[in-house]
Amino acid sequence: MGKFVLKRLLALIPTILIIVFVVYFIMDLTPSDPGHLILGQMASDEAVAAKNAELGYNDPFIVRYVRYIWALCHGDLGTSWMTGKSVFESVMARFPVTITLAAGSVVLGVVFGILLGVLAAVKQYTFWDIAGTTLAMILASFPAFWIGMMLIIVFSLKLGWLPSYGTGSISHYILPWITTAGGFVASQLRMTRTSLLESIRMDYVRTARAKGQKESIVIFRHALRNALMPVITIVGMNFGTMLGGTVTIETVFTLNGVGTLLLTSIRSKDVPVVVGCIVILAVCYTLVMLVVDILYGFIDPQIKARYLKR
Amino acid sequence: MEDGKILLEVKDLEVVYQTDESTVHAVNHIDFSLKERETIGLVGETGAGKTTTALTIMRLLPERTGRILDGSVLFRGENLLDKSEAEMRHVRGADISIIFQDPMTALNPAITVGNQVLESLEIHNVEKKSKQELEKRVDALFNLVGIPAERKKEYPHQFSGGMKQRIVIAIALACQPALLIADEPTTALDVTIQAQVLKLMENLKEELGTSMIMITHDLGVVAETCDKVAVMYAGEIVEYGTTEDIFTGEAHHPYTTGLFNAIPNLDEKAERLHPIDGLMPDPTNLPEGCKFSPRCPYCTEECRSRTPYRYEKNGHRIFCNRFEKEG
Repeated sequence: MGKFVLKRLLALIPTILIIVFVVYFIMDLTPSDPGHLILGQMASDEAVAAKNAELGYNDPFIVRYVRYIWALCHGDLGTSWMTGKSVFESVMARFPVTITLAAGSVVLGVVFGILLGVLAAVKQYTFWDIAGTTLAMILASFPAFWIGMMLIIVFSLKLGWLPSYGTGSISHYILPWITTAGGFVASQLRMTRTSLLESIRMDYVRTARAKGQKESIVIFRHALRNALMPVITIVGMNFGTMLGGTVTIETVFTLNGVGTLLLTSIRSKDVPVVVGCIVILAVCYTLVMLVVDILYGFIDPQIKARYLKR
Repeated sequence: MEDGKILLEVKDLEVVYQTDESTVHAVNHIDFSLKERETIGLVGETGAGKTTTALTIMRLLPERTGRILDGSVLFRGENLLDKSEAEMRHVRGADISIIFQDPMTALNPAITVGNQVLESLEIHNVEKKSKQELEKRVDALFNLVGIPAERKKEYPHQFSGGMKQRIVIAIALACQPALLIADEPTTALDVTIQAQVLKLMENLKEELGTSMIMITHDLGVVAETCDKVAVMYAGEIVEYGTTEDIFTGEAHHPYTTGLFNAIPNLDEKAERLHPIDGLMPDPTNLPEGCKFSPRCPYCTEECRSRTPYRYEKNGHRIFCNRFEKEG
């Protein structure tokens, strides 16, 4: 298993090289002028040209790419053109917010999504099933920012229970968590329900019942465990999406996450920050996927055996 | 064998599968009984209601569709159909076990085979034995079915079909049930393994004194293992008697005759097999009178209009109008 993890971590290296290349290349296709960004609009053309030359911006693309990679190997993600701060530090300053937001809503989504999904599957075609799937449909249909605003109106404005913006304490996160978890609950509920309905009909579930096993254990030990595979995949993908794709939520709740940083950097053509953000998010995403793959091994001994063999 | 106590008595059992569109008459008023240490064979083609009968005895019919309309299943004198779900859980696995048809899917792929056998023991651990004692019993069961005990830590995918069926048998026999229902235990196995598994079941049955319901469509299996046979057709038992009655008796239901004729004979040079003409009737729309009448070569007007007479001679029962007139 350790070997498998190590191999997967080594595979990160080519992945990052390719990601940096693609991002760097795309950013290069659009004209940008770092000298102007750094020195301001009032700077003289000579000064700008001198700054560009100093940054090595006039060098060919491939030279700049190799130089960037070389710096990256030394743990240097570069300096922001706009603020002059280290990219790594500016991303890391915002990273805890993003991770807290993502982790909290994924946990909520997993717990409620799977529980409601099990309920819907076990009580198929009854009130619980219809209520659960209807709820999922509603949660999936409303855009998150709208749900967020409605929650703010009810819980912050009218009731005054929870703060509507900022990141001071856990209570600041409750509304953003609920807002983003809504969509996750919906997708996890549907996936759990479908997958469990399939595994509940399997012969080994009947074998477990024929042993005289209690229905609750039959469902959780025998049926659910084998139904979790696609559910975990969805959880991993949701988590990945959460890392960079929560700009709307961050905007609604005025959270300073990586998503907002990425968006403003793209808008101002602050290339080092954009590439830095994407590299860090990509690493996180691959790590999440690694965890998902390891979890597969715990569910399916056949997959685990394959990991061990390698 | 004659003086054994009656273990199981199925009386006038009627089971349907009800959906919004239609009602499937799966089992229609069947009766049979089984003494201790005896094996009864339920024979018939696919869809005759054999598995439904087995699931009814275990009370494992699909919850939403399966309905027991009539009859009783007396096990040691108690009607299983009156028991609550909690009481049934004590019967399942402990007193009555079942071996399902397909060993490939009958085991949970995510749990070691040892733990799956252990689960059975843990559920019915009335004597509150320690985990070590139960593990020892698991080892003993593995040896019993001919699998090295050290393989109990492996997962189902690491075993062949025949091995898996042995594990399924170990699970079924874990708590030494009084009755074992074997639902086509060898159908999914290849022929060489079939004989092994049958032999194993036969030996274990002798050793443990278990009664057995052998569900099969293979008359060879019946001849080898059963004391009594019930031939099922469209949810009814059309002929019932000892294995000798069925295999060597003089009088037979035309369906039984057809089944025997369908077996290719090695001594005889035949161009084609002799199947029974026609198909099993649609169970949502069974014919009136004798259910076999549309396919029966001896069918008369009477057969189509009323339920067939019962012919009985020394416990050999045949539901057919031909014999009422003769005998």
